[in-house]
Amino acid sequence: MPELQGLYDAVVNGDQKAAVRLTKEGLDAGVEPMELLSSYMIPAMDEVGRRFECEDYFVPELLLAARAMKGAMELIRPLLTASGAQPAGRVAIGTVKGDLHDIGKNLVASMLEGGGFDVLDLGADVAPEKFVDAVENKKVDLICLSALLTVTMPSMRTTIEALERAGVRDKVKVIVGGAPVTEQFAKDIRADGYGENANSAVALARKLVMAARAA
Amino acid sequence: MTSRERVLRALEHRQPDRVPVDFGATAVTGMHVSIVAALRDHFGLEKRPVKVHEPLQMLGLLDEDLKTVLGIDVDGMLPRSTIFGFADEGWKPWRLHTGLEVLIPRDFNTTIDANGDTLIYPQGDMTVPPSGRMPKGGHFFDAIIRQQPLDEDNLNPEDNLEEFGPVSDDDLRFFAAEARAARAAGRAVVAGFGGTAFGDIALVPGLNLKRPKGIRDVAEWYMSTSSRRDYIKTVFDIQCVYALENLAKVHAVVGDAIDVLFVCGTDFGTQTSAFCSVSSFNDLYFPYYKRVNDWVHQHTTWKTFKHSCGSVIRFVDPFIDAGFDILNPVQCSAAGMEPRNLKQKYGDRVTFWGAGVDTQRVLPFGTPAEVRHQVLERCEIFSKDGGFVFNAIHNVQAETPLENVLAMFDAVHEFNGQRSLACA
Repeated sequence: MPELQGLYDAVVNGDQKAAVRLTKEGLDAGVEPMELLSSYMIPAMDEVGRRFECEDYFVPELLLAARAMKGAMELIRPLLTASGAQPAGRVAIGTVKGDLHDIGKNLVASMLEGGGFDVLDLGADVAPEKFVDAVENKKVDLICLSALLTVTMPSMRTTIEALERAGVRDKVKVIVGGAPVTEQFAKDIRADGYGENANSAVALARKLVMAARAA
Repeated sequence: MTSRERVLRALEHRQPDRVPVDFGATAVTGMHVSIVAALRDHFGLEKRPVKVHEPLQMLGLLDEDLKTVLGIDVDGMLPRSTIFGFADEGWKPWRLHTGLEVLIPRDFNTTIDANGDTLIYPQGDMTVPPSGRMPKGGHFFDAIIRQQPLDEDNLNPEDNLEEFGPVSDDDLRFFAAEARAARAAGRAVVAGFGGTAFGDIALVPGLNLKRPKGIRDVAEWYMSTSSRRDYIKTVFDIQCVYALENLAKVHAVVGDAIDVLFVCGTDFGTQTSAFCSVSSFNDLYFPYYKRVNDWVHQHTTWKTFKHSCGSVIRFVDPFIDAGFDILNPVQCSAAGMEPRNLKQKYGDRVTFWGAGVDTQRVLPFGTPAEVRHQVLERCEIFSKDGGFVFNAIHNVQAETPLENVLAMFDAVHEFNGQRSLACA
């Protein structure tokens, strides 16, 4: 049996090679994919988030941990899907139309994945209809919209309006984030929440999806 | 008091006759070309297309007539080569998606892709992949990341140094002529000669290079500042040697015809936090900044200019200790960047160049009254005993309402006891 605590450490330390190797060793030794995810990888990302909040970690360390997590998840995801295991929620994420900046969005996507969510990354410069399609055809529980620019913030409003026009707004929660975005702006455009950073976005996603499922 | 005297006095932390104003002197204190054009129209200046002198952010050149109307106290010298590697010369017409006709440099060559996005090419060479993209309906370009696969065991710092090297004789002649011309205009002069920015994320992708090698992906670079620090230090070491050699050559031909050196635009702050810890800053960046600033202060009369967006409250002391004289853009809306506290704690040791009005919320989305209120308040806080040059917090973006831009200038003039722009 491999030393699985090492998987936790590899993710926390952002060591992708070790994370992938230990995941593979764990799977080869017969450890359940869900066990690797829920006992080591998700707690590791929780620890990464805690260190980020405490400012022991900054963007580079967050990116490294997210990459390690992603590498391990690529081995685990197909097995989880095949076993019918349910994710914490299904999320479609993207940078809104007209905006090409994706580092923040990528970080949130990785942190959500690390939080046990099934993440559909629509990329950058995403048209509103693609988010509508994700609700209608991919059955996502949550949409995450990112914008770095003041001039693309209105695309967040247009995206929410497109969801309303398509009659699917009540089927999905929408959260927004990005440098110029504020809590007040989120309220103004009728989003369900605002994530100040990647870590708080994950906490918000959990809260909203759990509340929606309980309703 | 001349414009130059006004700025110099502010930089010496003495009270000038009025608050000096910069717009257009650097690539981080300018205005989008559409705003410059709208201002020219508003003031009834000679009808002619505005030059895009910084093609990444599509910043417009402020001509002498507009600077005079707006009461601008600073002239700028950008590096000879733009961020895309072609020179600001040989102007030709181009249309923005809004229909506005502007002038662009001769080698500003573009194509439109299937998505309707505009692609721009390094050094204007359309035989190599593009290095910038303006989304359809967008207002400026973003980097196209051209990261080649990295061989972890054979990383070579030289690959990240292709854009650095000895300054050419042509560049030196250009700098000498530009500096003389700028000095003759009577304003303070800010110059950026290139090569002194350590890890500026806008420059990392190598938009001017036809086939960039090394670490060029933005996220990969950020991760490398933590996981491959020795590699980055080697890049900075060699870059710094070139920078100091080049500064000596440039100083020999420019002398005191410039007043401020734009050193570095590397961002250390985010909206609510920072890109690294202070200890990482002190380990990775501080030594190089110190070498550049020390050289400048030992050999020239120039002041040194540091740009960093975001919440940099934790870095202000290290910036000052590294020898920076000027901090820009002073993003007061970011965490911990409270104006009165900044002025009180650091006002006698660093000049705040910016801080004038928030370009994320108030200027683009507020009312003219809100703009006026914030500008007057910021002038009141920051102007006491000098140490303040008025500028918006970063470039004025496209789609900013003209009435708000006018309200901003009017409020500065009102604070300064100058004639209203309505009388211009």
